[in-house]
Amino acid sequence: MTPLQIIFIIVAVITLFAAIKVVSSRNLVHAALWLILVLFGIAVFFVILSAGFFAAAQVVIYIGAIAILMIFTIMLTRRVARDSGAQHNSNWWAAAVLSLLLFTGLSWILSRWQGFQSTAQPMLESADPLRQLGEGLVAPGGYLIPFEVASILLVAALIGAITVAWERK
Amino acid sequence: MTQQLTTITETLVERFPGAVLKDERPGYEGYLVSAENLPEIAQFLRDQMGYDYLSSVTGVDYLPEGKMETVYHFFRSTGGSALELKVSLPRENPVVPSLVSIFPGAELQERETYDLLGIIFDGHPDLRRILLWDGFDGHPLRKDWQEPYYEEEAKPFKSRWPEGRAIRVEEKNIFKKNVKYPAGFDPETFTPEGDTSLFASLDKLKRHDEESGMKSDHIIINFGPQHTSTHGVFRMAAAVEGETIIGLKPAMGYLHRNHEKIAERNTYLMNMPYTDRLDYLSPLSNNFGYAIAVEKLMGIQPAERAEYLRVIMAEFTRISNHLFLIGSLLNDLGAYFTPMLYALEERELILDVFEAVTGSRMMCNYFRFGGVARDLPEGQLQKIKDLAFDRLPRKIDEMDRFLTESEIIRARGVGVGVLTPEEAIAYSTCGPVLRASGVPYDVRRADPYSIYERFDFDVAVRYHGDVYDRFLLRFDEIRQSIRIIQQAVRDMPEGPVQSGKPQYQAKVPAGEAYGRVEGPKGELGYYVVSNGKPNPWRYHVRAPSFINLTALEKLCVGNKVADVFAILGSIDIVLGETDR
Amino acid sequence: MTTGSVWEWIIKSVVIVFGLLTGFAYLTLLERKVLAKIQVRIGPNRAGPMGLFQPLADAIKLIFKEEIIPSRADKIIFVLAPIITVIPALIILGVLPFGGIITLFGRQISLSLADLNVGVLYITAIASISIYGIVLAGWSSNNKYAMLGGIRSSAQMISYELALGLSFIGPILLSGSMSLHDIVAAQKPLWFVVYQPVGALIFWIATLAEVNRAPFDMPEAEQELTAGYHTEYSGMKFALFFMAEYIKMIAVSAIAATLFFGGYRFVLEDQYPILGPVWLLGKVIVLLFGMIWVRATLPRIRYDRLMAFGWKFLFPLALANVFFTAIGIVLEKLWLIPLLTIAVFLGAVVMVGISETRRWRSHVF
Repeated sequence: MTPLQIIFIIVAVITLFAAIKVVSSRNLVHAALWLILVLFGIAVFFVILSAGFFAAAQVVIYIGAIAILMIFTIMLTRRVARDSGAQHNSNWWAAAVLSLLLFTGLSWILSRWQGFQSTAQPMLESADPLRQLGEGLVAPGGYLIPFEVASILLVAALIGAITVAWERK
Repeated sequence: MTQQLTTITETLVERFPGAVLKDERPGYEGYLVSAENLPEIAQFLRDQMGYDYLSSVTGVDYLPEGKMETVYHFFRSTGGSALELKVSLPRENPVVPSLVSIFPGAELQERETYDLLGIIFDGHPDLRRILLWDGFDGHPLRKDWQEPYYEEEAKPFKSRWPEGRAIRVEEKNIFKKNVKYPAGFDPETFTPEGDTSLFASLDKLKRHDEESGMKSDHIIINFGPQHTSTHGVFRMAAAVEGETIIGLKPAMGYLHRNHEKIAERNTYLMNMPYTDRLDYLSPLSNNFGYAIAVEKLMGIQPAERAEYLRVIMAEFTRISNHLFLIGSLLNDLGAYFTPMLYALEERELILDVFEAVTGSRMMCNYFRFGGVARDLPEGQLQKIKDLAFDRLPRKIDEMDRFLTESEIIRARGVGVGVLTPEEAIAYSTCGPVLRASGVPYDVRRADPYSIYERFDFDVAVRYHGDVYDRFLLRFDEIRQSIRIIQQAVRDMPEGPVQSGKPQYQAKVPAGEAYGRVEGPKGELGYYVVSNGKPNPWRYHVRAPSFINLTALEKLCVGNKVADVFAILGSIDIVLGETDR
Repeated sequence: MTTGSVWEWIIKSVVIVFGLLTGFAYLTLLERKVLAKIQVRIGPNRAGPMGLFQPLADAIKLIFKEEIIPSRADKIIFVLAPIITVIPALIILGVLPFGGIITLFGRQISLSLADLNVGVLYITAIASISIYGIVLAGWSSNNKYAMLGGIRSSAQMISYELALGLSFIGPILLSGSMSLHDIVAAQKPLWFVVYQPVGALIFWIATLAEVNRAPFDMPEAEQELTAGYHTEYSGMKFALFFMAEYIKMIAVSAIAATLFFGGYRFVLEDQYPILGPVWLLGKVIVLLFGMIWVRATLPRIRYDRLMAFGWKFLFPLALANVFFTAIGIVLEKLWLIPLLTIAVFLGAVVMVGISETRRWRSHVF
């Protein structure tokens, strides 16, 4: 095993454990903290895959913005931060069956994927993945339309949020 | 004056036949009214006669006559002397109608009178103890109340070493322990209701729920008693919604020592140094008010040179107090001590003068009945001149230049904590708080005392009633004080500083007097009742920083948490005076 | 990856961390001395010559102080929070170039720890993590002051991160790279502050808010919230918060120097690369002095106004700055950028001034 694989296994175990803790923690703030650990683990995977940009973006957007907003809302609703209700409801077995099905399905699809057999080409030294990503997003032949549609969606959401929060005098 | 008073008497007697009697006791003035007619008469005084400013509410326990009296001092906000109303009450179960609905400024004062004298104000919205704690037994200003280590009724006490043998005061302990609890009181099981009722008065504020349809919650935050910005052990319980204040109640008394009870045990002159301890930032103004009240009773005039010295010292006190305020207000706004230290540098110079003239920097004890304790030492006049003509005007201009136009100070102060003139009068606010709201009421002009009539100075007024105006007003007042000092130094005659020979035991004839001065924090009044003995029968301080706090909730509601301290800082309180 | 280079990394990391810790200690002394001089006082002068041992004395005091954990606090998070605060502050400078390449003991040694091609992004990522310590400290203390302080700080830092991120874009566009090494190299002819005066100003203001320095020290607003999020902390845990704040100050000053003031480059640096760290240190000290000066001079802005300022003034201005920078680069007329951005900035200031003055004096009795 290469050192990289060892690191991968360690990080994967930590991430999975944290993921389980996210759904099993009684305290909402603790759950949010475990979620941050999960997100951080994924950022580490990006680093292992030499995708520095995605790692940084993962940290900035998911940990730095989304998770902090979650914590913010939890803190503002102080009373519900501690869940005293039952940990499971009556549908737990249905959820277990569903997730098991999903897991086997995913494993089956992945096991048939050719990508595992072939070795990926190493990136060229001269290639600039950032530049390629940028061009891919805004070049007319690339993903320009989905990119713009996504930004319009976000603007719409923003306006919606302002409308909801607007205090009419 | 006499003409005017006669007409007032006639109008009152005509309007309320049988309910208003002139107080005919020797040395007393004002009117005795019946309890049930009091609100009606107060309303009439406010609406028809122009007595719209209820300055002081207090009470006196006349134990020998077996009755109590509440005493009200009304003034016109356009100036003039006092109109005094008294209500005679039985000592058992004294109940008098509350004036809070007519004069909101009576709120804290009536609570204080209830707390200390046990007079119940019927119709008061929030009649709780204010200075003492819930488990306190009795009402200490009643003359038959005795403290744990009670020795004698009045000072000077008898020798503690009669026949060469010491009598320890602990042996005289009348309760056999140092605390006395009310009947049925067990300290082990006692749960203080003060907090509960304090918060209960705030919990009525769940109003947003119905209005917006959205369920919103408010939390109650305690500021103090140990807090960096309350200028002492002062406490406020604030209900906040997000960062906005929706309700606020002051809680005080943490520094209470019953100044008034102690002062009633003291002889008249012994109280002079004791007044220094009220507002320890402006000791000489405190001396001034007390000296005026007692001199009124004694019917003496201070020596001419002493009058000038008094004015110079009182105005220096005002400057030093305002400098301190400007510095600490800027600190409250979050400036990290820089303006504070520059302001203190100038204040130090003034304290140097105090030290040289009075012998002490803060506890000055300089005034005497009929004059001042001593004349200026050699060379001090030159120092005062240097300060008044050169250093202070220059430094004040410099500070004004650096602070006034600062964007952040404007942003923090303008439009924050607004008090309209009508509210300012109704809440009995005084001093800079009142004048920043556009009411040009300054006791030095409105009801001149000492020799202020001789000086040419303006009453500083500002017209927006916000924190920024209260801040600027302090600069205006400092400038006017410097003008007064300049004139006083110029005109001061030579001569003795005491009228008559100095006496250790002032002979004060029976009667009552209300002496008031324009202290740096506002109208500082002393209500003194004498029964001809060496000790005052009643000694009440109308403390400006206490009464200005009545308007605190009004000022704070709707503002942000950070503004509370700007507002509190701009009111200028000193806890030594608030809690007494 | 040779053993030698691993050792080199380790040694460089240790030097950076200890440099930052020493810097923190003496920054506190510098701040107290400078504040004292501004406030006509003397400042610390008892411990050692000119008070030079004062930081040592403070450290000893803080280490031996009693550590109090409130009984109803969330203990794990309460202990974890100061640590979470310090770590980002210590690692944020990992991508910063401290100098060029020097030859030492016959080895070519680069005076920087790492050259990430997304260096700027790394900095924003770490900066965004540093909120957590404060928020969690505020929440776990189970204290209303601390809680309000935590909420304030999270809202404040999120708001100012936007303007901060946008002010990074100017240097990125001008140098065409996100690597801090390339950005420093691109400033060889002229510092970016010349092309990006408004960008530098936005960066400066936003970093003041980001590190909770006056006049944006809301989370710990002494006059309102006693000590804000660290109200319940004492001893060494408190010292960690304190440490994080000052290390962050050093870090953002170093980043500002790198992005806008030519980094480690200055006269004679080409001939003697060892001068690089010295010049960088000099620039950092000048910028730190500016921060201390601001603290000594300005009162605090009220919280809602701080948010309004961040969202309604700083953020649009940063957007405009990016826009005009891009225009200048596309037209290949770089001198246009400062002219246009300063014009926009002045216009915005005048507009705000007019509307504020009108609003302020709307009531007169």
